[in-house]
Amino acid sequence: MDMNEIKEIFFQECEEQLAELESGLLKLNDGDRDPETVNAVFRAVHSIKGGAGAFGLDDLVAFAHVFETTLDCVRSNRLEPTQDVLKVMLKSADVLADLTNAARDGGCVDEARSRGLVKELEALANGEALVASAEAPKPTPKAAEPVQAAPAPTDESGFQPIPFSFDSFGDDEVAAEYGDTYEISFRPRRELFSKGNEAALLLRDLSRIGEVSINCDLDALPALESMDPEESYFSWKISLKTVKTEDDIRAVFEFAEWDCDLEVKAVEAASQAEELPMVPVPFDLSALDDVPAPAEESEPARAAAESGTAGEDAKMAAAAARVEKKESAAAAAAQTTAAAAAAAAQTTAAAAAAGQTIRVDLDRVDRLINLVGELVINQAMLSQSVIENDTTGTSSINMGLEELQQLTREIQDSVMAIRAQPVKPVFQRMSRIVREVADMVGKSIRLVTEGENTEVDKTVIDKLAEPLTHMIRNAVDHGIETPEKREAAGKDPEGTIKLTAKHRSGRILIELVDDGAGINRERVKQKAIDNDLIAPDANLTDEEIDNLIFAPGFSTADKISDISGRGVGMDVVKRSIQALGGRISISSRPGQGSTFTMSLPLTLAVLDGMVVTVAGQTLVVPLTAIVETLQPEASAIHSFGANQRLISIRNSFCPLVDVGRILNFRSAHANPMEGVALLVESEGGGQRALMVDAIQGQRQVVIKSLEANYTHVPGIAAATILGDGRVALILDVDAVVAASRGHSLKPEMSLAATG
Amino acid sequence: MASKKAANGTLKLSPILDLNEATSLHGKLMSMRGNNITIDASHVERLGVQCAQVLIAGARAWQADKKTYTVEKSSDAFAKTMQLIGIDTDHLVAKET
Repeated sequence: MDMNEIKEIFFQECEEQLAELESGLLKLNDGDRDPETVNAVFRAVHSIKGGAGAFGLDDLVAFAHVFETTLDCVRSNRLEPTQDVLKVMLKSADVLADLTNAARDGGCVDEARSRGLVKELEALANGEALVASAEAPKPTPKAAEPVQAAPAPTDESGFQPIPFSFDSFGDDEVAAEYGDTYEISFRPRRELFSKGNEAALLLRDLSRIGEVSINCDLDALPALESMDPEESYFSWKISLKTVKTEDDIRAVFEFAEWDCDLEVKAVEAASQAEELPMVPVPFDLSALDDVPAPAEESEPARAAAESGTAGEDAKMAAAAARVEKKESAAAAAAQTTAAAAAAAAQTTAAAAAAGQTIRVDLDRVDRLINLVGELVINQAMLSQSVIENDTTGTSSINMGLEELQQLTREIQDSVMAIRAQPVKPVFQRMSRIVREVADMVGKSIRLVTEGENTEVDKTVIDKLAEPLTHMIRNAVDHGIETPEKREAAGKDPEGTIKLTAKHRSGRILIELVDDGAGINRERVKQKAIDNDLIAPDANLTDEEIDNLIFAPGFSTADKISDISGRGVGMDVVKRSIQALGGRISISSRPGQGSTFTMSLPLTLAVLDGMVVTVAGQTLVVPLTAIVETLQPEASAIHSFGANQRLISIRNSFCPLVDVGRILNFRSAHANPMEGVALLVESEGGGQRALMVDAIQGQRQVVIKSLEANYTHVPGIAAATILGDGRVALILDVDAVVAASRGHSLKPEMSLAATG
Repeated sequence: MASKKAANGTLKLSPILDLNEATSLHGKLMSMRGNNITIDASHVERLGVQCAQVLIAGARAWQADKKTYTVEKSSDAFAKTMQLIGIDTDHLVAKET
């Protein structure tokens, strides 16, 4: 594993940490005062800093350090996490994300911004820390380590990675010349080692913060033949003489405290002598100091020191960071400084409960998915040929085949589940956009997210970010009014945008609700008339007017801002959603806000479809689009105009669409009585009856892109291979419905594979 | 289980004695049970607690077997880590007689 790979892992983990950080901050913002939330936030920044230190990313370390210092103030209850404080923190989280990205992809960050934030953070930290430092004068000068909390950095980016642990020097006794003696009992558990921590290194770190005498207790060690080499048998009694506080000592064990029994207690100076272990092992502080890292201590520094020695060690640093991540995921309620033993036990239990994960290259998963797709097709072919050759239909082969079919289906579902990811990261990105854009336009907006753990195919997630960003910007810029206007309208000056995701009938439904002014229909209509999108005398329903904003080249904003409204707005959004096989619609109530609803397929690889015959061709109609199927009766068919026909279903009329004619499979009208009508719901919400000749059956098909293999065909979303080996086309229902409205099928018509 | 063919054995420790190495070290020691053993620690660059545990358990086992168990040519890292975790290697060597 070379350095770049390790770095890549680090950045991946950074992303997770940043997500953790942001969700934690948002929780705090919502009034959550659980110490574990603060700890999770703190840990996230701490881990990023630690990893960054190992890779020499100084900018990142410097910023993370200041951030961490301020967070530590919150953690130790010296700083009340008010809205203002959290605003700064959220911004800092954004900058931290920027810095991480800059470190990965090159490029630069807005230095002025980060510098400003550094100042703000310091001010916050110092504002409260002043009190602390007043009662506790600077640590004794002989403490050579950089102990100061935020040592008035002359250059924000040039900082050393100073461990946070020394920030809290609120110990009144530091002035005492020799410090205190602590009795530390440390018993690592097996997990400590299996997570990549190393007790020897913890001891080394401990030795650096003061004078230690370490006594190893070997009693628990069993005989050679009965021992488990990976179990932990040793425990230590350490007597430490230091000017540091107990918290500082615990900080050394910060990354390991969940996995060990740790007890730290101060010893009276008088009893010091007798408390010393019987066999004090003399030793030399330079032990293991392969790298000169005198100013560095504790976990991140340790990681830094190790990465210097060899790649092997850096791997360990990465592993340590990963461990940290897992712990934060476990999110067990355990206060760091509280009774560590009990807390540790609790956390271990939680950590054990949290699932184990592996990272797999996406290509491998895709290959697997592809193969499973082939397997499904093959299985379908097999069962078809068996059915054709077996007239009795009761043979044991049939039974086996049924089982095989079930198995393949299960395999397919499981494989799809591998690709499924929660939408959380995308949603979290949105909260940043809301913050930034709201700041820019001087509005106060809160983003509420719901159902972020809804899972959907990774491809869908990746492609979802862009349209969603656009819509969020629109909502902030155009949707929500200014605080003054809101107040005038009797609303909460703070606007709310709600982003929800949920599963609904095999699709994922994403809703974006704002409580803004809603769509100004008058203006939309006027604009559409001005832009020649509709005829001036067109009589449109409210819904149709609302949907006009999806028309190409449409922008209602009076002035074009940086943020949105360049006229390439919602039509692009709509197109990208449709490219994903999704639908988007809008509903709006004037004065109360708008709701955008996106319905997306869970996966782009398989589809449940109705296999139908039209003019001798086999077509697949996505099952999600079909509301019901019916056999038309002569009495229900009514002619309408020159060549339109309607079908009456339960006393309402629905246009009858001859699929064969629209797709130019035949030129003459088919006789409705000989076919079957599929009642489909199109994206506009209206229902249409698609007329096909016959229904062959219902099955799951593997989508094969038509574009990749041939070229785009209007009205056809994709193709698939059926059990008999023939290629069937998957109908693009929305395109066909649109074509039935009089627009002919145009080549640029968008796709909707599963629509 | 001891093989009687050789009265003495030398175990050369690998440079990185971390968690992954503990099991194999344990296995190596077990296979050398019953012989006088000389452990060559001159190449050790990193020593983890788990391997130290195995080595100590080995020392005890050898002591029980009344065979010699000598750590020879210990590298700096080996000696210092042993010191750091509070294990006296002299005492380890001294114990076996």
